[in-house]
Amino acid sequence: MNKKLIYGIAIGVFILLLVFFVPKYMNGNVTASGETKLSSDIEKVEVYHFHATRQCYTCKTVGAFSEETVNTYFSNELKSGKLVFAHINVDLPENKALVDKYKAKGSSLLIGVYGKDGNFSKQEDTNVWYKIDNKEDYMNYLKGVIESRLSGE
Amino acid sequence: MDLMSFMEAMSMNSFPLIAAFFIGLMTALSPCPLATNITAIAYISKKIDNGKKTLLTGFIYTLGRMVTYVLLASLIVYIGVNVQSISFFLQKYGERILGPLLIFIGLIMLNLIKLPSLKSGDRINKLKEKLSEKGYLGAFLLGVLFALAFCPFSAVLFFGMLIPLALKFSDGILIPSVFAFATGLPVIIFSFVLVFSVSKLGSIMGKVQKFEKYIRYFVALVFIIVGIYYTWRIWI
Repeated sequence: MNKKLIYGIAIGVFILLLVFFVPKYMNGNVTASGETKLSSDIEKVEVYHFHATRQCYTCKTVGAFSEETVNTYFSNELKSGKLVFAHINVDLPENKALVDKYKAKGSSLLIGVYGKDGNFSKQEDTNVWYKIDNKEDYMNYLKGVIESRLSGE
Repeated sequence: MDLMSFMEAMSMNSFPLIAAFFIGLMTALSPCPLATNITAIAYISKKIDNGKKTLLTGFIYTLGRMVTYVLLASLIVYIGVNVQSISFFLQKYGERILGPLLIFIGLIMLNLIKLPSLKSGDRINKLKEKLSEKGYLGAFLLGVLFALAFCPFSAVLFFGMLIPLALKFSDGILIPSVFAFATGLPVIIFSFVLVFSVSKLGSIMGKVQKFEKYIRYFVALVFIIVGIYYTWRIWI
């Protein structure tokens, strides 16, 4: 086989893909900002650490740091029930409804917000995974996220 | 700015290909892909008598990873396969099969297990021989297989970060390709280093070829050790 031809085809395909997809990327950025905003009336915020029975080191850390953040900064909200935190094992059948509701795909930190008008929205936080090397940073970050969810942002 | 916050910032870059590349790099550094990449590096260094081939083998391994990631992303983006079910399925079974399989391959390399030779069609067999002799087919299959082994953390990066990105731009091809390239980058870089050092040590090469049997044993050992690591993590 002609090697130059193969390389040529490979580069050609790559350029075609670029031409096809790059305009899409530019459009995608515009539509992304159209997220729904929640009302400022927040009924309840749920912070769930989803995990499988067998947990990786990083997964355990995410769970532990999150729990500590909630207990340190939000003990009042936890008592009043405005904030809920739990570790959810996705392998247990009794958690299936919750796993489906949050569409958890495995180990993950998901935050759900219930509005007083019955609205429910959820969001996975993937930034926390980058912060497990620095506990202080992690806790400050998550504190900020939960605060803004509680205030309806 | 430390490395992690740099990686985090880059993984959220508004240009999706840059984001995909850095999510891929993060994946390459996480435990499971790291273990599979080390195995791949061992496999590639098995044949170091030809620089170009070594380099190409590294790229073909990455191509194998690319095929898997593009296929998975396309299933989700274009066909609408449920992300949750595919993620659970792979996390449950992908990893479980990988460990025993690696041990099995290692044992074959050590000639402790002999595969029955297939005699269906000489032409196919010759082609197979040709491909496996160069290690291209093996490297490709290794890439396809290794990419399927998701650990909890690499699943977060792929299903939690890359797939949402691919869905947002309805791109199941280029974004996962760039991601795959980054996950295979350590292997490509290592094959470059290998080729460079081998060409420097050209005179020793004659001797290296004599040691090829021992290199094969060493590679088999790496396969078995990584296989045991996976098996131990999951089954015990």
